[in-house]
Amino acid sequence: MNSVLDVVLSSAFLAAVLRVATPYLLAAFGGLVAERAGISNIALEGQMLSAACTGALVAGYSGSVALGALSGVAVAMLLGLLLAALRLELGADAIIAGIGLNLLASGATAYAVFSLLDDKGGTSGLKSGTLPTIPLPGIEDVPVLGDVLSDQNMVTWLAFLAAPFVAWLFYRTRFGFHLRAVGEMPEAAASVGIPVRRVQYAGLALSGALAGLAGVYLSMGYVSFFVRDMTAGRGFIALAAVFLGGLRPWGVFLAALGFGAAEALAVQLGTLDVPPQLVSTIPYVMTLVALALYAWRRKRRGTGEPAPVSL
Amino acid sequence: MTTTLIEKEDRREYRATRRRDLAVDLGMTLATILAALIIGFLVILATGKDPVAAYEALLTGPLERSFRVGRWLEDATTLILLGLSVAIPFRARQISLGAESQLYAGALAAAAVAILLPLPPVAAVILPLVAAAAAGAGMGFVPGSMKARLGANEIVATLMLNAIVVRVYDYLVNGPLKQPGSSAVHSKPIQPDSALTPLTDWFGVPLGRANIGFVLMLLTAVALWLLITRTPLGYRIRMTGSNPDFAEYGGIRVPRAIEWSFVIGGAVAGLAGAHLVQGVYGRLEPGLAGSLAFEGIVVALLARNNPLVVVVAGLFYSYLRAGGDIMEQQTDVGTEIVVVIQAVIVLLVTAQALPDLLKRRLIRKQVGAR
Repeated sequence: MNSVLDVVLSSAFLAAVLRVATPYLLAAFGGLVAERAGISNIALEGQMLSAACTGALVAGYSGSVALGALSGVAVAMLLGLLLAALRLELGADAIIAGIGLNLLASGATAYAVFSLLDDKGGTSGLKSGTLPTIPLPGIEDVPVLGDVLSDQNMVTWLAFLAAPFVAWLFYRTRFGFHLRAVGEMPEAAASVGIPVRRVQYAGLALSGALAGLAGVYLSMGYVSFFVRDMTAGRGFIALAAVFLGGLRPWGVFLAALGFGAAEALAVQLGTLDVPPQLVSTIPYVMTLVALALYAWRRKRRGTGEPAPVSL
Repeated sequence: MTTTLIEKEDRREYRATRRRDLAVDLGMTLATILAALIIGFLVILATGKDPVAAYEALLTGPLERSFRVGRWLEDATTLILLGLSVAIPFRARQISLGAESQLYAGALAAAAVAILLPLPPVAAVILPLVAAAAAGAGMGFVPGSMKARLGANEIVATLMLNAIVVRVYDYLVNGPLKQPGSSAVHSKPIQPDSALTPLTDWFGVPLGRANIGFVLMLLTAVALWLLITRTPLGYRIRMTGSNPDFAEYGGIRVPRAIEWSFVIGGAVAGLAGAHLVQGVYGRLEPGLAGSLAFEGIVVALLARNNPLVVVVAGLFYSYLRAGGDIMEQQTDVGTEIVVVIQAVIVLLVTAQALPDLLKRRLIRKQVGAR
């Protein structure tokens, strides 16, 4: 047990938590914005995947990391707009349309990589580079703090800034107020003159951009290439963090950070003869229990509706 | 006299509406498939490859040799069972994404019985199937009762359960259940008596790993169709799905109906796991189901959650999957294009507004013609 503590308290582990939590944080905030806008975004997974693939491919062929990252984010935004259009213009169920978009992203990215590079696995044959890490002069040399905070990828910083940004957006701006109003009660929002559709489109575009940033980080920060289906369910986990966090920015922040910490722990414990697969189930078990407790409490208080039926 | 005339008129009107709706539904399904195929064709063309050769392999390939037909039927069996498993909760308007966890639980249960218990011939086949259905049902009960009794979001619950069960499965196959002395990761084989009889034995032509599970799947589909359309429980599930408030008002215990829809769906997904263990692989393998669980959802949607139509949609869908593999072997077009085609189908199917638009057009035309 001592060795477990040693691992957890090491600065290398804390640095790893920040690295691992980055995609969860960004995708979860993407999910949060969409959920609050009244359209569940289950396509987070597909948006991350498309962004990761586009980012690596564009960066590889153009030689510009920045161009790659931007086009990755742009593609994810387009998918967000597409989801909104399917929902708002064609009356699609957002969950089912999201599943369709995930399928599309999985197939299209694999097809694109295979067509361009003749490689089934990914883009490791393409030199595409990574987004820069940020050294922190001054803090760099502080013993623990420097090891943890310095030389983190720039996207990691963006991920941690996303929490205050989304909190500010929701509670301090007109757009955020409109977004929440539209998500809560679209008819009422429309009756006071809020342009409901426009707000939802904007919300889904922002949601896509955040998920896109998470995806770009996977292929241009975490590693420097795209691997087929490399998101590995992170989008779904991020969605769980949205609900576990009670749809509030700081709650979602803690939930996503928790998932990241648990995954980092699972990786570390793998070296200590504890089955990593079992350790990595902990956050999901916790979420399941939390979900049940939360629902039970709400039911007992009698504030929640009796067994809401979705779809 | 006049009343009967009006009644006749009403009846004619009603029949015309039903005919029109059916025609629109069928037409939309065909048009959707055609549109998706055309988009796939254009994508192949855009990537500078030969779409005609690719489509020839895709569309005729699976029927060219008997073992390819077998590959198709084997895949269709698992896929249709998964489609059926989500169609039932969908009928109660519950979005269960838990087929994956139910399948893996079913596979583990079937393997446990089929590997460990020495059983006489017929029981050796049936007991693992029963165990798998029970395990799947249990795995459906958890999110089902959480939703029904507490109102917990079933999408999150099923996704979490998937994440947990897949990891536990992965641990078991790589650890305690790994066959000792084997370099590859898989469990011990099941005892021969537990294997589902290959269809090859019946038809005398080589049909690969296709097995009697295909027939069991057909029976399951018919049973579920009867359940949904002809039994009180089916009625309660349908009512819950179409209007929960009204169902509650009419004395239906909505939570019960929701719970049952999850349990029944789970049992069927468990059978899909048993099919993979007893019919296809003969043992536990890592990543047994691949991405099939989510594709079952697609099949159910395509079939509008009607169990009998799920069979047709599943046969079509896995035909495309089988064809995609052949296309990849024979041409330079990757099998991923099939996933793209399937995704386009899903997106078009979700576009509810399209058939409604068409129906309104038709009504207007009929009214105008009169």
